[in-house]
Amino acid sequence: MWSLILKRIGVGLVTVVAVSFIIFAGTKILPGDAAQIQLGQNATVENLAAMRAEMGLDKPYLIQYFTWAGNFITGDLGSSLASDVPLTQLIADRYQNTVMVAVLTALIGVPISLLMGILAAMFPGSAYDRVLTFVSVSLVASPEFLTATLLVLLFVLGMGIGTAVVVGSTEGKGFFSLISHFALPITTLSFVIASQLIRMSRAAVLNVMSSPYIEMAILKGVPRHRIIFRHALLNSIGPIVNVVALNLAYLVTGVIVVEVYFGYPGLATLIVQGVQSRDFVMVQGLGMIFCLTYVILMLIADVAAYASNPRLRHPK
Amino acid sequence: MSEFKNNDPRLANLPYAERQIVDEMHRRGASRRDVIGYMMAAGATFAASGAIFDGVAHAAAHMPKRGGKLIMAGDQHGPNDTLDPQLFTSAVDYFRGRMFYGSLTRLTDSLGYEPELAEEILSNDTATEWTFKLRRGIEFHNGKTFNADDVMYTMNRHSMEGSISNASSLVSMVDRWEKVNDYEVRAILSSPNADLPIALGTFHFKIIADGTTDFSTANGTGPYRAAEFKPGVRAVGRPFENFWSEGGYLDELEHYGIGDPVSRLNAFMAGDVDAMVNLPPKAIPQVEAAAGRDVWSLKSGAYVNIAPHIKLAGPSGNEHVWKAMQHLQDRERLVKGVLKGQGSLGNDQPINAAYFDHFADLPQRELDPDKAKWHWNQSGLGSTSLEIVAAEVAPGAVEQCTFMAREARKVGINFDVKKVTTDGYWGAVWLKAPICVASWNMRPTANIMMTLAFAGSAAWNETRWNNEHFNQTLVDVRGVTDPTKRAQMYADLQTMIHEENGMSLPAHRNYVDAVGSHVKGLTHVPLNNFGGAESPVTLWRDDA
Repeated sequence: MWSLILKRIGVGLVTVVAVSFIIFAGTKILPGDAAQIQLGQNATVENLAAMRAEMGLDKPYLIQYFTWAGNFITGDLGSSLASDVPLTQLIADRYQNTVMVAVLTALIGVPISLLMGILAAMFPGSAYDRVLTFVSVSLVASPEFLTATLLVLLFVLGMGIGTAVVVGSTEGKGFFSLISHFALPITTLSFVIASQLIRMSRAAVLNVMSSPYIEMAILKGVPRHRIIFRHALLNSIGPIVNVVALNLAYLVTGVIVVEVYFGYPGLATLIVQGVQSRDFVMVQGLGMIFCLTYVILMLIADVAAYASNPRLRHPK
Repeated sequence: MSEFKNNDPRLANLPYAERQIVDEMHRRGASRRDVIGYMMAAGATFAASGAIFDGVAHAAAHMPKRGGKLIMAGDQHGPNDTLDPQLFTSAVDYFRGRMFYGSLTRLTDSLGYEPELAEEILSNDTATEWTFKLRRGIEFHNGKTFNADDVMYTMNRHSMEGSISNASSLVSMVDRWEKVNDYEVRAILSSPNADLPIALGTFHFKIIADGTTDFSTANGTGPYRAAEFKPGVRAVGRPFENFWSEGGYLDELEHYGIGDPVSRLNAFMAGDVDAMVNLPPKAIPQVEAAAGRDVWSLKSGAYVNIAPHIKLAGPSGNEHVWKAMQHLQDRERLVKGVLKGQGSLGNDQPINAAYFDHFADLPQRELDPDKAKWHWNQSGLGSTSLEIVAAEVAPGAVEQCTFMAREARKVGINFDVKKVTTDGYWGAVWLKAPICVASWNMRPTANIMMTLAFAGSAAWNETRWNNEHFNQTLVDVRGVTDPTKRAQMYADLQTMIHEENGMSLPAHRNYVDAVGSHVKGLTHVPLNNFGGAESPVTLWRDDA
């Protein structure tokens, strides 16, 4: 088990290094370097050269890469080119929002959707299963901004409940007031991830249900709920955890539409603003953070899969 | 020495009988528009009548109430939001700046000025030397007493060699600043500028304390102190207990951006925010119909235009071509249809009634297909299709071309309107394509606007029109302090652009914001959103 986990961590590290190369190279391929962008219209040949020397941009790319990667490891992400504010500070202002929304959505959305998916697998072909499949397919197909617009129309403008954008600061708020603070973003995102989770958990459980040992259990007369929760679920945890991890990573990195629509600043908005203002330092730093988020969450998912499934631990 | 304390036509300048009528109108509940309409019928300019209405309204309105909280929603904000006045770039910066800082002069609704941190403003007869006598007993938020050193430090940041100020061009004629004593400073100019105090009332010239280098928080003389500031997240102001003047009535004033127009409108209509900037034209009827929601519109000099490069050998350099284009503009339709009435007719020159130096007697150019046809025939282009590059840089920017093309087709003239994305438009197309569109914001004075975009040597001279007489007059008028002479010179300048520059300028757009009816103390300085970003001082809540 431990050697497996160590191996898995090794693979994760290789991924991180590879991605860091790609991010670094990507920002180098783009026309115009950081010095040019910081100087803007005031760029003359002399002060451009001076600025490059000061930023270390005149050194070979490999050395620049190692300096950058070294700084990143020690927690120094550099300063934003657009505003000269340390990146860590810009991220700190937004990380809270993003993480709170992600965690709250996960706490509410994941258990409910898993339960609904498993229930659907218990009674395949029933009216409940059909309605749920129909609704979840529709939700997969509808983009976030549509869901968000409908929710705002229904709750805020129609019934006068809640706020159309996220208003005010999160400071000093407890669990339930945080939920009401981010009510609509959480609901929108829960719908988005629920559709995927419901379908995946239903499929994973049904997949196991058709295997011989379950048929044996049915023949022995084991009650249906016991078959599902005792026998089938454990074997389908691997794929389910994977989907959950992917969705969590998405909640941290990819919710730009929801952030913009509900007007709260988060990490996804920040990286888009970084690209727009050609703030390479910011794009590099955030790119790495997003990469780490994915790698760590997938690592956790894989370890959970190993733990739940002996066959993965002892491959033939 | 002649004194320029105030060039603003105010209520006090009205004859007594007129004042009675306006007072009466206001008591009956006449709107700003009614009063302005009446005054303009009586022969006043738009700017003057607006100022008069404000005078009456101000006197008649209830005394401002203290307390309560307001949330004012701007549009784009982000990581480059700053508290350093010289680096301000966006409307959210300007508004936030006014919450926390003060300036030497304050702009009035007619784009005149009033003294603020300066108590008295004097110039010599040629407007080459300006003396600012400073108000005593003003405190910064950190308790420091305001004096000449702060003004010297602030102004030198804009005027020194290698300044990174975004507004250094507005004071480029200032040779040096001199400290006369602790409460008096003097600007020595290298060329005359009668409008210097107006420039110093604009966004970037907010006074900071001597020696300030850390802008993580704001230390100003403004009505609110910075309780919270996070770039791209929010700014919160709490009243500054030692504010020297009237104003700063709220317990809390919060300002941040909601970039998406639909979300911003949702938030406003749901009452999550008390006011919003840049109401999309389509939403104007919705806001007008809603109870407790008003449109906060400022008649401004901002405009869209089509600029041909007239020094090129091709069609864009042909005088008859651009004259035909000017006669093909359906200006009324553009203002009514696209801007939903929140704009005014353009007259192929940039200085409209929102400017102090507007020349009202310049005949309005109108849609005239016959004249256009005649010019087109003279140009010898025949049925050649002429390409115009357009991007959605502002409301009406593309429509001014498509409307024109439609009128042109009726008389057998062909335009090919090529629509491109706004991404990179200013770098890749503007000033490069032979004929393309542009969008311009208003500038504080006619002179600044014309110097920026119409002087022969200006970097942003879109048509490359270069008229020696115009260039010279533009410089000379800066030193003219006689009102009649000044008016005549500005009339000449505007006429020259109208006749010779070559661009079509079909419409000026208003700044259109929306505000809850409970929000009082609105300003109407036409330079930017939220009343020219001058409103933070005077805003208050009626239901507080």
